[in-house]
Amino acid sequence: MPTGPIKEYADSDGLYGRVDTQYAEFEGITLQSGVFLGPLKVAYETYGTLSPERDNAVLILHALSGDAHVAGIDSNGRLGWWDAMIGPGKGIDTNEYFVICSNCLGGCKGTTGPPSINPATGKPYGRSFPLITMGDMVDVQAMLVRHLGIEKLHSVIGGSMGGMQALEWAVRYPDAVRCAVVIAATARLSPQGIAFNWVGRNAIYCDPAAACPDEKHGHVYQKMGRGLAIARMIGHITYLSEETMEAKFGRQLRLKDMNGYSYSLGENGKEGGEFEVESYLEHQGSSFMRRFDEDSYVIITKAIDYFDLEWTYGSLVNAFKNISAKMLIMSFNSDWLYPTAMSLAIVRALMAAKKDVSFVELDLPYGHDSFLVNAGIPSLTRIVRGFLNGAR
Amino acid sequence: MRAEVVEFRSPFHQFEVGFNVIIDLITPGTRVLDLGCGSGTLLQRLRDEKDVEGCGVELDQDKVIRCIERGIRVLTLDLDEGLEAFPDLSYEYVVLSRTLQQLVYPDRVVKEMLRVGSKSIIAFPNFGHWGIVLEYVFTGRSPVCETHPHPWFNSPDIHRLTIKDFRDFVQKIGGKIEKEIHIINNAPSNSTFWPNRRAQWGCFLISSA
Repeated sequence: MPTGPIKEYADSDGLYGRVDTQYAEFEGITLQSGVFLGPLKVAYETYGTLSPERDNAVLILHALSGDAHVAGIDSNGRLGWWDAMIGPGKGIDTNEYFVICSNCLGGCKGTTGPPSINPATGKPYGRSFPLITMGDMVDVQAMLVRHLGIEKLHSVIGGSMGGMQALEWAVRYPDAVRCAVVIAATARLSPQGIAFNWVGRNAIYCDPAAACPDEKHGHVYQKMGRGLAIARMIGHITYLSEETMEAKFGRQLRLKDMNGYSYSLGENGKEGGEFEVESYLEHQGSSFMRRFDEDSYVIITKAIDYFDLEWTYGSLVNAFKNISAKMLIMSFNSDWLYPTAMSLAIVRALMAAKKDVSFVELDLPYGHDSFLVNAGIPSLTRIVRGFLNGAR
Repeated sequence: MRAEVVEFRSPFHQFEVGFNVIIDLITPGTRVLDLGCGSGTLLQRLRDEKDVEGCGVELDQDKVIRCIERGIRVLTLDLDEGLEAFPDLSYEYVVLSRTLQQLVYPDRVVKEMLRVGSKSIIAFPNFGHWGIVLEYVFTGRSPVCETHPHPWFNSPDIHRLTIKDFRDFVQKIGGKIEKEIHIINNAPSNSTFWPNRRAQWGCFLISSA
C-alpha cells in the first residue's frame, strides 16, 4: 500500500479528493421492536483500499445530523464532516486504512428513513416510520460491512451518537471489532439530554405546517414551518460551551451603526436578532431546515433518548461482559451535555468487567462539539492515530 | 496548580537507575499498574523487557497522549480522587514512583494500592538525608536540593517524608514491608548502614500483611 508523509495537524482541505456516495440494497431488517422494515437502502462512502487480508477496515459513525460524506469532496464541492481527521497522512490515514462511513438508519441522507417511500402506501413514511434503536442502526451497519466482504473491522470510531453506536458495536458484535473509539458519548442518555430532545421535538410538533398531512407534496410540504430550525438552535446551544460562546460571539451586536438599544422587526413581526449569537443560531437553524428532515430528527432523537445499555442489559458491567475489543473512551472537560462523569461510568464498568480500556479526558474549551472543531484536531489526530497503530 | 510546576528534578540518573530498581522487582509476564506513569517510559520498558501487561494512570494531557502514541494503555484519572474504579487484586504490582510526596491523601492512595495489587512498589525522595538535615539546621530555611528541587512556595512536593516515616506509615496502615532498597548517589543497595541519613531515595516493596 502506498504511504505518504504523516501530518501533525491536518485541515479540512478535501485532500482525499472527489468521493461519490454509493448505495447498497437489502431485503430488510427485523427491528428490535419486532417490526419488519424493508426494503432497505444504505448510503455509504469508502476511502482508501481494503487490504488483501481484509483487516484494515475502519468504520466511522456519525452524530445526529451527520451523513456518509465524512471526508473528501462530493459532487457539489462540499467537504466531508470530518475531513480534517480522514485522508492521506491524516489522523485516520487512508493510505493505511480502508475507511467506511454510512448514513444511519432513520436518516435523511440516502439511507432508509422517514423521507423514503413506504412500499405499502407508495408515499414517504414521514412520521409513521417505525421506532428504531441504536442497536437497529448498528445492525444495519453490520449488514453493510458484511456486504462489503469484511468479517472483522479494525476499528469503529464515533463521537456523540456515533460514540453510542461504537459502544453498541463492541457489545453486539464482539468478534467483529478489534478496537473501538468512543468520543464524547454516554452509555445512557441523561434526563437533561432527554429534556433538551423533548423540547426540540416539541418545537417540531408545534409547527403548524408539520401538523398538516402531506397528501400532495410529500415531505417537502412539511418544511414550511420553523420547528426544525428551533430544535436545531436548542441543540446547538447544548453542543457549545459558555466559554466558546463568550469567545466566539461575546455580547457583540450584528449591526454596527446601532447605538445602544434596538429592536428591529423582520418578516411576520418577528424580531431580526441583533446579537451575534442570535444571528449564529438563526443561521444554524435555517441552514438545517434546508439540509435535514424533521421526521428524521424526531426518529433519531427518540433512538438517542431510549439508548440505555444499563437498562437493556441489567447493568453496564453485564452489558460489557462479552466485549473483546480494545476500548478507547474520550471526553472533553468543557462538554456539559455528555460530561466526563458519563465517560467515566463507561470506563469503570469496563474495568469492572476486566476489559482493555484507555481513557483520555481532553482539555478543550469547545464543549460537546470539540471533536469536530478544527482546533481540537491536532490532539485528536495524535490520539486516534496512536491508538489505531497500537491495535495493529 | 500542579501543571504549572516545571519538572526539573533529574534524580536516579534521569530515572534510569530508579526504573532499573523497579523493573528488577517485577516478575515477567505479570500485570502492572503504574500510578503517575508520565509518558509511559517505565511501562514501555516493562512491556519490552519483561512482557508485562501494563496500564498507566496520568493526569497531564500531553503525557497521556504520549502514552497512547507508544501503545501504552492509560487512564486520565486524579489519584487523589481514589482508585475505586479498579477491582480488587486486578494487578500483580502497583507502582507509585516519585509521586507519593505529591499526593494530598497518601494514606488513602496507598491503602487503595494494597487493595488493587498483590504487591506495591513505592519510591520517594528521602527528606531525612543528612545533607538536607544539615541545610535545614544551619541555614534555618527549607532546603532546595536535587531530590527536593522546588522552593517551598512553588513545589508539587507537598509532603516531606523520611524513610523512617514511611516504615511507620506502612505499619500504621497495616501493610508489610517485603523489601527495602536505598538509593545512595544513584546506586541501589539492599542493606545499608544508617539509610535514613544516607539514602537520597527510598524504594519499598510492600504488601497487605
